[in-house]
Amino acid sequence: MEIKSSENASFQKVYEQVFPVLMRVAYHVTYNMDVSEDIVQEAFIRFYEKNIDFKSLDEAKYWLIRVTKNLAINVVKRKSREKAMVDKIKKIPKTPVQNGEDVLLDSETKEMVRVAVEKLPEKLKSVLILKEYADLNYKQIGLVLKISESNVKVRIHRARKLMSSMIDRGEIHVSR
Amino acid sequence: MCLDDQILNTYLDDELVEPWKTQVIEHLKYCSACSTRYEQLKAVHTMVSTSRLKDEQVDASKDKIYAYLENRYLKKEKKIKFLHRDFRVKTSAVIGVAAAFVLMFVGALTLNSPTLNEENVIIPQVVDSQGQGAMQVRATENLAASQVLSNLSLEEILSYLDQKGYEVDLKLKSVTVLGDDTGK
Repeated sequence: MEIKSSENASFQKVYEQVFPVLMRVAYHVTYNMDVSEDIVQEAFIRFYEKNIDFKSLDEAKYWLIRVTKNLAINVVKRKSREKAMVDKIKKIPKTPVQNGEDVLLDSETKEMVRVAVEKLPEKLKSVLILKEYADLNYKQIGLVLKISESNVKVRIHRARKLMSSMIDRGEIHVSR
Repeated sequence: MCLDDQILNTYLDDELVEPWKTQVIEHLKYCSACSTRYEQLKAVHTMVSTSRLKDEQVDASKDKIYAYLENRYLKKEKKIKFLHRDFRVKTSAVIGVAAAFVLMFVGALTLNSPTLNEENVIIPQVVDSQGQGAMQVRATENLAASQVLSNLSLEEILSYLDQKGYEVDLKLKSVTVLGDDTGK
């Protein structure tokens, strides 16, 4: 199905299906809800204003994920140079209202994951976030990041290895 | 031979294809070392993936941002779209009409010019090619003039030139008599 980014019907369809993915990508790069909302909003504004014809919804989705990821990484880089703003970004994210499903994972564990993910090099972080939070397979991640599928495989492996070593060194702790 | 972490990760992400997938499953059944490493990788994966932003938080932001985009773009788009298209049509129409006027103006000048300078058209370039007073009409260098000349009969041209006071010398070149097969 062809997608015209400036047509209302296409835009609404894409927004409905892609928004959660974009929000999660932006959030797990910046770990700040307000900043993430600004980033996703900006991504959709660009999507609309660029008036691009996509061959399929997936292509539109990959384009939006790529833009969102780049915007989020740029924000983090910029904020890293501004110490005061870094503190704001690194604030512990608000935890959702606890319910039965959240018992297994408390806010402490989430914070540990955040610390570990933030410590990953940018290339590994992007791949891991797209895998774990955007629910993309290796092929789709390769299309978004414009890298080969085997490269995705290697990066996923390195990212998890690094995460494991951080846990082993006690840099993060898994609460059980 | 044990499995490396990359293969285990690929299996964990359900990206491993057959026959390797079956081989990994079989290997994990009896190799405790690989099973332990697999469980560690799985624990990291579970911990990371379950730390994701919750649906409730996503939905709250989703509605808020959509409301903004709708007000700023989607609703306006409906109103502006018509005007925008209308304007674009008018713009092209204006440009088209303007171009037509320019063409008509230039065309009128071009077509009217012969009447303004009739003599030059009928005799576009008259030069003294020999320097001896003999005049030669070089109509072929002026397409418009040659067309005018071709529309007139020889008598008319001679009559006109005579009227203007020109002395005309006509010569026939390379003319053969029809039906003459003797070659004389």
